[in-house]
Amino acid sequence: MRTPVQMSTPPAQRTYSWSMPSAWWTRKRHYLLYVVREFTALPMALWLLWLLYDIKRAGSGPAGFYPSRSVFFVIFSAVCLVFAMYHSYTFLKLAGVIIHVKVLDKPVPPRVIVFMMFGLLAVASIVIGAVLIGFAR
Amino acid sequence: MAEKRITIQATRFDPDKDEKPHLQSYDIPFADESMVVLDALNHIKSYVDGSLSYRWSCRMGICGSCGMMVNGTPKLTCSAFLRDYWPHKITVEPLNNFPVIRDLVIDMDDFMHKLKSVKPWIIRKQEIPLGAGVHRQLPAQVTEFRQFSECINCMLCYSACPVYGLNDKFLGPAAIALARRYNLDSRDQGLKERLPVIAEAEGVWECSFVGECSVVCPKGVDPAKAIQQTKLDTTLRFTLPYGNRD
Repeated sequence: MRTPVQMSTPPAQRTYSWSMPSAWWTRKRHYLLYVVREFTALPMALWLLWLLYDIKRAGSGPAGFYPSRSVFFVIFSAVCLVFAMYHSYTFLKLAGVIIHVKVLDKPVPPRVIVFMMFGLLAVASIVIGAVLIGFAR
Repeated sequence: MAEKRITIQATRFDPDKDEKPHLQSYDIPFADESMVVLDALNHIKSYVDGSLSYRWSCRMGICGSCGMMVNGTPKLTCSAFLRDYWPHKITVEPLNNFPVIRDLVIDMDDFMHKLKSVKPWIIRKQEIPLGAGVHRQLPAQVTEFRQFSECINCMLCYSACPVYGLNDKFLGPAAIALARRYNLDSRDQGLKERLPVIAEAEGVWECSFVGECSVVCPKGVDPAKAIQQTKLDTTLRFTLPYGNRD
């Protein structure tokens, strides 16, 4: 009777492991825009922390509320506003990709969904702005 | 008239001799405007250097075997025309983000494991007997998943994805797109079997929407869309009272 042939396991193959270069995000414009988008969250987070600190101080009464009016803070706030708008733009543009709505059994085109999202953002901004101005008066 | 020529720089790596890959230049005739990068590699292998290793099969953008980095961009070499690069040289490298076995051949085991983990086939709770006839689908039902079924597993999307490059635990674009293809199929009942894989932290939630996977896909599949839609679906399933449906 023949004995079964013993199959030996081949030695592990040596491969060259690819590693991501640290400057990967400079290789394509698409990557750069992605990193800029992600980075803009950091200054926005700092601005919101500052806002929370101001709100906490305001909790002790009108005497405790003295928001910063320094030139640096105004410029920083303006930059953060641009970053926030860029974030809103990228997020709302995404809505057309992910939201599937059907009307009369037909899918609503992505551009209509995106347009509606920007419309809602404009309405929400106007309402919040009106409320804040109303309170300030 | 002087013969038209083009320079191809190809990655060479012999695991028995080389510490790391290096580029080797080949000057070859560019005889025909319809020549693609794969034709150039085949010319090198047939007439210049028979030791050059790379994968290829169908030559018509269907099998997904010949994906490589062409001048830094993941491409099917059978669809990358030399005329689009000439008179500049072309650099051909193995797909980024994968270990290199030899020359232009990458180790695709990681992708194969991930692909299998999402069970990219139709799962039925109870098989319909053959005698019951065909399982009918309306054109609208086919349209739901058609785009995602075009994936040919070429792995260009993995190569373009910096998230996968930085964390190879990420399930990745093609596997998620194919999971979505089957989850959207009206014949399939396997959503709950796939959810534990696609809805975990290193599934769809690892993706931070770079979007390059959809840019490089040679078949027009939109894996970024599949991932973002799956994020929304899984969130709704988790938060809405009726969300935990089949």
